[in-house]
Amino acid sequence: MRLLILEDEDLLRAKLVKALEDSDYVVDSASDGKTGLFLGLEYDYDAAIIDLGLPQIDGIGVIKSLRQKGRTFPILILTARANWADKVEGLDAGADDYVVKPFQIEEIRARLNALVRRAAGFAKPTLDFGPISLDTTARRLSVNGASVELTAYEYKVLEYLMLHPGKVVSKTELTEHLYEQDHDRDSNVLEVFIRRLRQKLDPNESLKPIETIRGLGYRFNVSPSVKR
Amino acid sequence: MSRPASSADSRYSLQARLLLAFGVLLILFLGLAGLVLDRAYRESVEAAVRERLQLQIYALLGAAEPDNQGFFLPDMQEARFSQIDSGLYGFILDAAGRELWRSPSALNLKLNAGGFALGSPGVGEMRYGSLSLPGQGDLVWASYGTYWENQEEEFSFAVLESAAPTAAEIGEFQSNLYLWFGALALLLSVAQWLLLRWGLRPLANLAQDVSAIESGQRDELQGRYPVELVPVTQNLNLLIKRERERQQRYRGMLGDLAHSLKTPLAVMSATLQEIRGGAALKAPQQHDMQEQLTRMDQIVSYQLKRAVEANQRRLLAKPVAVAPLLKRIVGALTKVYRDKAMQVRLEAAEDLRFFGEDSDLMELCGNLLDNACKYGAGRVEVSARQDGRALLLDIEDDGPGIPLDKRQWVLERGARADTVRSGQGIGLAVVVDLVSSYGGEIHIGDSPLGGAKFSVRVG
Repeated sequence: MRLLILEDEDLLRAKLVKALEDSDYVVDSASDGKTGLFLGLEYDYDAAIIDLGLPQIDGIGVIKSLRQKGRTFPILILTARANWADKVEGLDAGADDYVVKPFQIEEIRARLNALVRRAAGFAKPTLDFGPISLDTTARRLSVNGASVELTAYEYKVLEYLMLHPGKVVSKTELTEHLYEQDHDRDSNVLEVFIRRLRQKLDPNESLKPIETIRGLGYRFNVSPSVKR
Repeated sequence: MSRPASSADSRYSLQARLLLAFGVLLILFLGLAGLVLDRAYRESVEAAVRERLQLQIYALLGAAEPDNQGFFLPDMQEARFSQIDSGLYGFILDAAGRELWRSPSALNLKLNAGGFALGSPGVGEMRYGSLSLPGQGDLVWASYGTYWENQEEEFSFAVLESAAPTAAEIGEFQSNLYLWFGALALLLSVAQWLLLRWGLRPLANLAQDVSAIESGQRDELQGRYPVELVPVTQNLNLLIKRERERQQRYRGMLGDLAHSLKTPLAVMSATLQEIRGGAALKAPQQHDMQEQLTRMDQIVSYQLKRAVEANQRRLLAKPVAVAPLLKRIVGALTKVYRDKAMQVRLEAAEDLRFFGEDSDLMELCGNLLDNACKYGAGRVEVSARQDGRALLLDIEDDGPGIPLDKRQWVLERGARADTVRSGQGIGLAVVVDLVSSYGGEIHIGDSPLGGAKFSVRVG
C-alpha cells in the first residue's frame, strides 16, 4: 500500500513514516501543503494522512483540491485542535476519518487499514472470497479454514490484488504501490511472488485465483462471498 | 442577555423629560398670558364704565335746575334715569351727604344714608367706587363735586350703575379666553408630542436596531441615522466588528496554542511507542509515562476549551441555524462510523435557531452525537425543538445505556462510564461545561431505543 503523509512537524513526520513503513506501507511524505498537493495529484496513493495545520496550503485546502481534481483515495485527518468545527470541516472537505493528536500509532494503523479496506468496498476487516479469507487486521490468510503462512511481501501483493478484485493490475502498478520509489524494480521478483502465492492459495490448481493477463498484468478472479 | 434593569426603569425617558418640561412651560406661559389678557380686558372695561358714568354725570349737570327745595331735572336725555329699577341711578347730594334729589329710576333704592360714600368729593373732583346693596347686587358709582353759580353751597352729583352687565361681559370674555387657551394648549401639546416623536424617532430606531443585534437578527447598525447619531452608530459598528474579530483572534490563538502544545506531546507519545515496540516487555515506567502524557493532553484540551468558553460575549452572537449544522455533523459522523452503518434519524425544523456561538453548538452536538454513535449499536435519534430563545436537544441511541446510579457521575467533570479508551474522556466534560456556561441543563434518561437519552437545554 502506498501512503502519503503530510505533517509539518519534522520529528513527528519522521516517526509516523517509520512506524508505517514498519507496517509494510510504502510512504511518501511532505512537510507543506504545496508539495503535498503536488504529490497527491502526481501519484496514485492508497491512502493519505494529512495534518490540518500545514504551511503554504492548509490541510483543508489540500483535501479540497485533491477531491476537486478527482482523487478518491481515503484521507485521514490529523488535528491538534480537537474541536468539532475543524473535524467537521475536514470531513466535509472530503476527508474520511480523523485522529486527534497526540495519537497512538496502533490507532493510526487501525484507521488506515479500515479506510483502505472500505475504499475498496469491503465493510468488514476480513476479505472473504470463497475458500480464501484474508484477515487484514491480523494480516492472516486462511484457505478452506486452514491458516496459510505468508511472507510480508507475499501478503502485500495478495492484499493489493484482493482489494482490487476483477481489476487488471499491471506490474507497474503493483510495484509502485508495494515498493519504494528508488527500489530496484525487477519484474522477475514479482513473478516469483505470484507463483508462490498461487501455490499457497491453490495447491491443486482447481480455483485459479490469480489470472495472468499477458502483456497487461494480473487479475484476482474469485467472486467475493459477501456482497460488498 | 440581561441588561441592567435600573437604566430603563429608574429614570424618565427622554420623551417623558421633554414632554414634562414643555408641558410645565406651556402651562406657565398660557397661564401668565391669560392673566395678563384678563387683567388688561378688565381694566379697559372698567375704564369704559368710568367714562360712561362720567358722561352720565355731565348729562345730569347739564339737565339740573335748582328750585327752593333742591333740584329739578326736567329734561333728562337718558331714558334709563326715568325707568324705575333700570340699573342707572342719579343722585344729587349736599356737602353733608344729604340727598337733595334722586332720579325716578332710584325710587326703590335704599341707600344707607349714614354710610353713603358718594358725597363730598372735592370740588371739580371725580371719584369712583363700587358698593353692594341688598336686592340690587353690585353697583359701580361715580361722584362729582361742584358749586352752583348763585349759591355758595357745594353739591355732589352721583351716578350709580349696576355692575351686572359689566361682570357678565367680563365673565363671557373670561370663558372665551379659557376656551381658546384650552384649545390652544391641547393643540400645542399634541403638536409637541408629535414633534418629539418625530425628533426622537432615530433614537427609538437605534434602540430597536441594537436589540436586533442583541437578538442576532442583524450584524450591524444599518439604518440611516441623522448626522448627530452617525458617529455613535459608526463607533458602535466598529466596536461590534472589533469585538467579533477579537473573539475570532482569541479562538485562533488558543487553537494555535493547542497545536503547538500538542505536537510535542504527539512526538513524545510516538517516541514512547517506538521504545515500547522495540522492547520485548512493556515496562511499567513506559506505561506510566504514556498515562501522564494522556493526562497532559487532556488537561491542555480541556483548559483551552474552557478558556474559549470563558471569553465569550454572547450578547453579540449571531443566531445559528441549527438544522444545517446538525446535518453536517451527522454527515461527518456517518463517514467516521461507516463500519457500524449507523442509522441516524434527525428531526430538526429548518427555522430552529441557537442564540450563541456556532462553534459551541458544534462542540456540544459533535461530542454528544459522537458518543451516541460510539456506544449505540446501530441507531441514533436526534430531535431539536425551540422554546423561546432556548434550544432543546434530545440525543438517543440504542446502546447499553447508562445505569441510574452512574448518571450523576458520568456528568461530572472528566468522567466517563467506561475508562477503557483513554484520551477521549473530555467530550462529555466539555459538553457539561458548555451547557452550564449557557445557563442550560443536561439530563440523562432512558431512550425508547434501549440506550441512553441525553436531553439538553441551551440558549
